[in-house]
Amino acid sequence: MSKARRKGRLGATAAAHNAKIQSEQAAQAAAAEQERMEAARRAEPPPEVHLAITTNVNDLPQHEVDERALLGLMEDWRNGRADRNIWQALGDAYVAVLATLMIGAMLVSSVIRAQSVAADCTTAECTTGRGLLPWAATFGVLSFTLAAAKMFGPVLASAAEGFWLMEAPVSRRRLLTRRLVNALMIAVVLGAAVGALVAALTGSPGIAVLMWAAAGGLGSAGLVAFAAAEQGAERTWLISVLQTILALAAFAALMLVVGTAAGWISPILNRTATEQLTVIVAGLGLLGVVAGGLIAHQRMERMRRARLVSGGSLVSSMQGAAFALDFGLMRDILVTRQANERGHVRPTRGTTKGLRALVMRDVQRLWRFPRPLFPLVASIVVPYAVQALGLGRLTVPISAIVLLVVLVPFFQTLRVLSRSKGLARTLPFTTGQIRSAACVVPGVLTVLWAILATPAFLGIGGAPMLGKNPTMAAMTTMVTAAAGFIAAIRWVSARPANYQAPMMATEMGAMPPGLMFNLIRGFDMIAIISLPVLLGGSPWISLALAFVCFTILRTGGIDAEELAAMQEENKRLMEEARANAKGGKPGAGKPAASGGATKAPPEKIKVTRTRR
Amino acid sequence: MAKRSTVLKVDKLSKSYGDRPIISNFSLEVAEGEAVALTGRNGAGKSTLLRCIIGADRPTEGTVEVLGTKVNESNPEIRRNVATVIDDLDFFPDLSVVEHLDLLARAHGLDDPDELVDEVLEEVQLVPQSGQFPGTLSSGQRRRLALATALVRPRKLLVLDEPEQRLDVEGVAWLGKRLAVEKQAGLAILMASHEPTLVEALGARIVRVGE
Repeated sequence: MSKARRKGRLGATAAAHNAKIQSEQAAQAAAAEQERMEAARRAEPPPEVHLAITTNVNDLPQHEVDERALLGLMEDWRNGRADRNIWQALGDAYVAVLATLMIGAMLVSSVIRAQSVAADCTTAECTTGRGLLPWAATFGVLSFTLAAAKMFGPVLASAAEGFWLMEAPVSRRRLLTRRLVNALMIAVVLGAAVGALVAALTGSPGIAVLMWAAAGGLGSAGLVAFAAAEQGAERTWLISVLQTILALAAFAALMLVVGTAAGWISPILNRTATEQLTVIVAGLGLLGVVAGGLIAHQRMERMRRARLVSGGSLVSSMQGAAFALDFGLMRDILVTRQANERGHVRPTRGTTKGLRALVMRDVQRLWRFPRPLFPLVASIVVPYAVQALGLGRLTVPISAIVLLVVLVPFFQTLRVLSRSKGLARTLPFTTGQIRSAACVVPGVLTVLWAILATPAFLGIGGAPMLGKNPTMAAMTTMVTAAAGFIAAIRWVSARPANYQAPMMATEMGAMPPGLMFNLIRGFDMIAIISLPVLLGGSPWISLALAFVCFTILRTGGIDAEELAAMQEENKRLMEEARANAKGGKPGAGKPAASGGATKAPPEKIKVTRTRR
Repeated sequence: MAKRSTVLKVDKLSKSYGDRPIISNFSLEVAEGEAVALTGRNGAGKSTLLRCIIGADRPTEGTVEVLGTKVNESNPEIRRNVATVIDDLDFFPDLSVVEHLDLLARAHGLDDPDELVDEVLEEVQLVPQSGQFPGTLSSGQRRRLALATALVRPRKLLVLDEPEQRLDVEGVAWLGKRLAVEKQAGLAILMASHEPTLVEALGARIVRVGE
């Protein structure tokens, strides 16, 4: 070792020694000081603490609260914390903006093309069908608007506003008026967009598109105003009745489309009458906005804080799930909320045991909550309607998408057991067994749906898709039903994006790799299964693909970890069997196998030994 | 006295998150009729250890066996033998309290579980809430329901992660007595706990984690 290095090491050692001595001295001094203070504290009585209220809040001058100024102050605070303006934010997200513009342009172009194609069909059936379809869509939108308005409020407040602002002696009416206006604006924009889109897609001329937009927009806004007025009166039954009537009207309009296209009925529907009716709907909507808005404004003062905050927290939960593009989670939030609002039921005991107990529980659940059966029954009309509109092979994916939507509520067991590993762990079955049991009830319903939808593919509602061949029609129905069924399984059981995994760097910030796949969850299955039929291939290919997809989904996907564990366990059992065959004690030190999936049955081991 | 057979065997288990080791080289055996309490400061790795033991998390190294079968969460034999009460237990939002217990008992092959379910419901004091959905229960009642799920099914090993959480004083006392009875009946119990009275009531062997 060189002299300089040795000197350096010695110097470092000395410095460390000095530091140690210093720290020990400091600790001793601190201990002595502590002891001295303790002694002094023991010698002297503790000083008396005089608490005096120097400022009585009641003595302070109080002024009338100006709610607008209060909201303005909050807005200033929020703006003060912003570190970027809107243009900078848009600049950062330019990829998203460009993508939106491109997709928007494509959509507009597609709509215009579809409009011209639809307008070319000038037969009486086509004209009547095209005239009726916007009615079905508009009634559907209005019914949905009421459902959403009832669910969220429509007037709502965030939890923070509920706690900090509504605690103060402020006028609730003044605070909430803007919320009602916001809800009305959203209803106008969305209602108008859907009305215009459907009218355009069915080949309506420009003026008619505008009229449908007015009917959809003002009609929706009128219903939101009505719901707000009912919210102030703490009533929901009237909204539910109206919602049901509108849903039935939408269904009736859809049935008329099918009946007309099939030539069963020929309703008289002229253009002038339709235009007049849209004007009436728009007028009624406007009246609803004014009257409902005024009544709601009057009743706002007595709107309960809990009700307002409940809608606000629902929105924030849904926003959180929407940012994660997790629509399954959004549905879970709604289901849990509905269950909690109901609170309790008259319990029913199960009837069987083992896996069948899971199936029977699904049957009991369906008996208790039969409401999802109505959309399922209504969805049978879809393939007939799509065929009637002459969309040919598109009937398969369109009907499958609708079937996916209406089947999801029947997969509640699968959803919960896929989401909660803790609950699945309490059941003594493999993932495949659990999933199979959870698919029985929805599977039976899908088969019934397919039976009732088969005539549509035979050409009852329009031109047959694949000729009047019953076998081909039956197979195409099976493809459609399988696509919807498997897509629903995928939708409810897919794993959410993993935020603990390494993130991807994107222009919009860090993103988990699987996030974007959430958007196509379920639809990917429909695309895979229906593509061969869409491209003119044999339905057998689609059915084979459906079988493969179902097999993978049934086992919970390809879990490499699980497969490795099973392989290891099988290897161990094989070695054990070999050892037993050589004369060791069978199952020494092991409990008797009780039917586990990875355990080789003892009988088989015995047979091997006999052969040897 | 006959030697009691080993129910749980943990052999040199280690678990790390990235470069950060949480548990290193941990070994443990729990025999039938024995109770082991894992204690240690917050963040010592007790819950992680329990999650590795029941197969919810995969250990970085080492093995865990229950009755000679290597633990794999999806293995029905493991699911049949190991009852767990840890924090990741969720409930069906649209099934009532009693329906959860009934379903679980039937899934485990019990022919007529009504009497057992009623007894357990009474024991965990959830009879008035039997028709309620889990979302409407208080956090303490939800904990009682979670404990009840472990009591209405056959089990050879009971794994509990801080079961005293959210229970009132009476609830903790009941739990101690109940677990002592289970132990007496031959059940192997492994539990992480910060509650000395519970550990004492159970007469559990204490294993410090993180030291």
